[in-house]
Amino acid sequence: MSEKEFAIIGKPQQKVDGIELVTGKARFSGDLRFTGMLHGYAVRAGVPAGKLKSVDTTEALKVEGVLDVITASGLMGPNLMGILPPFDQQILAVDQIRYAGESVAFVVAETNAAAKRASRLVVADIERWEPILTTDAALADDARKIHENGNITFTKKLIKGDVESGFADADLIIENDYETSFQEHAYIEPEAVCAVPSGDNRITIYASCQSPYHLRGHIAANLGLPHSKVKVVQAYTGGSFGGKDDVAAEIGILAATAAVKLERPVMVAHDRDESIIGSNLRHAMKMHYKTGLKKDGTIVARKAELLLDGGAYASESPFVVMKALIHAAGPYCIPNVMIESTAVYTNKTYSGAFRGFGVPQVTFASESQLQEAADSLGISALDIRMKNALKPGDANATNQVFNESVGIRQTIEAVAERTAGFDTSASEDADYLYGTGYASLIQGISNGAEGIDVVGASVQMSQDGSVVVGAGLTELGQGARTVFAQIAAEVLGVPLNTVTARLVDTDSVHDSGATVASRATTTGGMAVMKAAEEVKDSLLSMAALMFKTEAENIVLKEGFAVLVFDDSARIPIPDVATAAYWTGFPLMNLAFSRAPDADYDHDTHQGTIYNAYNYGTHAMRIKIEKSTGRVEVLNHIASHDVGKVLNPLGLTGQVEGGSLIGFGLAHMEKVEYRDGFIQNANLADYAVPTVMDRIPTEVISVEEANPNGPYGAKGIGEPPVAGAAAAFANAVAAATGIRFRKIPVTREDILTAIRGK
Amino acid sequence: MDYCKPRTVDEALSSFGDDSVYIAGGTDLGVLLAEMLISPVGMIDLCAIDDMKGISRSDEGLTIGACTLISDIAAADDIPDCLSLGAAAIGSPQIRNMATIGGNICNASPCGDTLTPLMVLDAEFELKGAGGRRALAAGDFFRGPKKTALEPGEILTAVRIPAASLEGSITGFRMTGKRNGQVISQVNMAVWAVIIDGKIENIRISAGSVAPVPLRLIRCEKMLQGKTAAEIMKDAFMKNLAAAAEVEITPISDVRAGEDYRRSVSGALLVDIVTDLVSEGVKDED
Amino acid sequence: MKISFSCNGETRDIEAGAEIRALDILREDLGLTGTKEGCGKGECGACTILLDGKPVCSCLLPAPKLEGCEVVTVEGLKGPDGGLHPIQQAFLDTGAVQCGFCTPGMILSTKALLDTNPAPTVKEIETGLSGNICRCTGYGKIIEAVQLSAQRMRNE
Repeated sequence: MSEKEFAIIGKPQQKVDGIELVTGKARFSGDLRFTGMLHGYAVRAGVPAGKLKSVDTTEALKVEGVLDVITASGLMGPNLMGILPPFDQQILAVDQIRYAGESVAFVVAETNAAAKRASRLVVADIERWEPILTTDAALADDARKIHENGNITFTKKLIKGDVESGFADADLIIENDYETSFQEHAYIEPEAVCAVPSGDNRITIYASCQSPYHLRGHIAANLGLPHSKVKVVQAYTGGSFGGKDDVAAEIGILAATAAVKLERPVMVAHDRDESIIGSNLRHAMKMHYKTGLKKDGTIVARKAELLLDGGAYASESPFVVMKALIHAAGPYCIPNVMIESTAVYTNKTYSGAFRGFGVPQVTFASESQLQEAADSLGISALDIRMKNALKPGDANATNQVFNESVGIRQTIEAVAERTAGFDTSASEDADYLYGTGYASLIQGISNGAEGIDVVGASVQMSQDGSVVVGAGLTELGQGARTVFAQIAAEVLGVPLNTVTARLVDTDSVHDSGATVASRATTTGGMAVMKAAEEVKDSLLSMAALMFKTEAENIVLKEGFAVLVFDDSARIPIPDVATAAYWTGFPLMNLAFSRAPDADYDHDTHQGTIYNAYNYGTHAMRIKIEKSTGRVEVLNHIASHDVGKVLNPLGLTGQVEGGSLIGFGLAHMEKVEYRDGFIQNANLADYAVPTVMDRIPTEVISVEEANPNGPYGAKGIGEPPVAGAAAAFANAVAAATGIRFRKIPVTREDILTAIRGK
Repeated sequence: MDYCKPRTVDEALSSFGDDSVYIAGGTDLGVLLAEMLISPVGMIDLCAIDDMKGISRSDEGLTIGACTLISDIAAADDIPDCLSLGAAAIGSPQIRNMATIGGNICNASPCGDTLTPLMVLDAEFELKGAGGRRALAAGDFFRGPKKTALEPGEILTAVRIPAASLEGSITGFRMTGKRNGQVISQVNMAVWAVIIDGKIENIRISAGSVAPVPLRLIRCEKMLQGKTAAEIMKDAFMKNLAAAAEVEITPISDVRAGEDYRRSVSGALLVDIVTDLVSEGVKDED
Repeated sequence: MKISFSCNGETRDIEAGAEIRALDILREDLGLTGTKEGCGKGECGACTILLDGKPVCSCLLPAPKLEGCEVVTVEGLKGPDGGLHPIQQAFLDTGAVQCGFCTPGMILSTKALLDTNPAPTVKEIETGLSGNICRCTGYGKIIEAVQLSAQRMRNE
């Protein structure tokens, strides 16, 4: 199909769920109200490590309005949750306290205020242990075991070629340590769920969440119910970025337990400090990198050891370990690669999924080191990247060969062309330092090695021609509902405003896994497309009967069934749908998309892992005020190979928003720990960028069609984070002449370094 | 919680009891209430006391009612620059529309952005309590982080800036934080100066967030006193000035900034403001 | 105590003590859940309302302070034809909304800005919106939305 034939795909579309959001009518979880609704509030350990000896709830129970205080013994199931079995995370502490935000009891009261007041009267008797606060301490020979199986959560290797002989061939070897800090999601809506017993031996949980099926599974298991008795409905969700999964399950279990016990609806809505202390963060990472190059800039070997601080529980650590491992070599064709990636437990808030999923951290290290090499070899930033960039037909780090949809070189070219228009040199005047940084990146799309990659979707047309689309993946603000509606409208030839894409309800479609890994558009979109095609077949068959012709002579467009050889011969789709209904043709289809399976050696990570990659190149020009270290971003170019742009408005929004999160990671945001306690669990001292801190992102899209995505599309949610973060670090190095190997590089770090020079 | 909204200071004073709390804008109090750090029985709202609102000028100087909104101070063009700039540096538009100057003073946070301007303006605080009326210099009012000279039940009713601080002087203010919007000062700095014929006749400097209370930088003031623009605008002098500021302050490291950074930035902010003021002072006379 | 105020043009009489926040009155008593709670401490702007025309954080405002005031929440915004307000329309048109949780507060801050400054510069827009944190958009499209609303409102 040629480009100009699309009616809806590829054109800027407003969010289909936008009106309820700008009018304030959209009901987020915390906005829901049910008769008799109670409020739950968790009591936190307040101690990073220790033995929980007892929990005394006597005084709390006396507070007016308090109905129950649930402790571990009051839970109905195994009191365990997690991402990858065997699960290791307790919902309410039983014996050991592993981080300060661990919940030890759950107060249920008529009002939120009463629950909070009572929570202060719960007395947890905890024998304090010396907390394990660094990865080094966790790995020490005599370290206390945070979990029974030790302090190593997960460890994996990637081995391609022979890295040592690669280094032997190298003209230049660069070896350094890099480090990143914990990052908080800071979605503006803190987590919230409401559990409502429905009176039919089922329970419905309305949740601000990213993975309704995870919630269903964990809630059912911990209530001792079959999955079929639990229904999870996604409420409007105020941002997630990877963060509303484990914690949503945790509070979902607590709310549902209380709702079942008390036979009343129970709401849990986190305060901001709970959202920071009690839900996962982005992994802090320590990375040892070694790269060998020829004089002409060709990379011949890359070795890296990655150490991830996973905090108290495994959460997504195993998968982040793998994703970091697979991406540590960057978007380059390197013959010899050896990466080792390990996550360890510490007595801190657990780490887990956060937009980028390990890739921003390794991209920072990899791109910093590549730039250091380029600088020593006297090769320009873009030339060294182009020299090594993957081409179709090349084997990437996992030895997987893509023959199409490898657009990294085009993104470098696009950045070269755009940056030719402004001064990129490192320079200085009386008050400021100037410099430009570059970074290229690669980001696997969809689950790949992270497990089975399936999505269910339903498309249903009513007699009036209006359409309801339901996919198993969630709208988190990223525009998934709009893309799903666009695809259905495109296939069915109806106007976008006749299509409703609804929020996820676990009863209605197959378990589609989590809305992660930039997979909504790609794998979710394919499911919607498939479901819509079936409905389209019914409409074409019906229209063929009405036109007394064959189905292949009819197209659906502009809301009509139209004869291909006579554009004026049109039957309105509502008429076709009504006729189809009365003729007994199906107008609803439930489809299922399954991405190509991963197939690789688990010891070396060689083989087919992801079915597509997004590639990108960023350039960032900055200006640093010498007296204070204050940074202003003058230009930011973000070029990505997205396969095919489905909604330009949504896509640029994803790149701009993702880039600012990357900028925050690299420059401003740092979760500050002292003795195992987070010191800045608020939005004043945890510095999320404000509008006055925004960066002027310019979005450039390269379209190298992905055969596994709808209309050739690839996901774009995560990739910009890595690009912006790594480009910033290189820009600071260019401007100051000082290489910072630890992010964030704050104003304070910059000023201190400049003065020390 | 009981709530009353007196119309006069005396009425407010007589409403005060052991478990009461005064509220003005509520932007600091609201955080304490949210964190359940206080649980008063009664709340006395001072914002309906007309005598405590507004900015007025007389021969003696400027009087600013304690309940004057920070946003009004930020927007005022007939008050010293350092004070309006300090006010504009506080929080966000929403916070500035609620918060009052009296609240900023009585909260006595070391990073309060109106405190250093008030220090250099030689402001005097008018206090009223059961024992009557008294006035305290800004420098005597702050006793530590969140600690003031206020007696229980006593109310800060107004801030007075003497005429001597207004006439023929120029002022400046700068601050720095982790980000550009909604910034909490890592360091803030205010300067008041009288410059005649290109010479600094008089100067006062105050730095905030670098000690338990806003500090006057007396040694730096002495270095500048009597100096001409030509003497000041030399790299060597500015370096010495910055170095003097860095040793005169007594900052700590906390979640907002490290001690070293606070020192470096204090010197830099002072140099920036002095440079601006001296250039402006010279220009004014041209 | 009894508190009487105007909300979106209607007189409201409610009963509340000083421990109750204006935010709770709006959300719980009046069912106006368009006003959101993002931090409870005046740090994010999601709870922004217009109080006598000025944006304030309703999470820090004790309910009795509403007495005699005029409150506008996002539910009170209407366009000339009773449909969307031009600011709401501009947020949709420019793609300035992603998750939408900050949006009501962002729109009210925009309204307060444009009511006093119909043709703001980018810098003025940034200052006007600096109390509203958005984690999704990167703000670029929000700036565009404000500029587009300003232009449309001037042309009305």
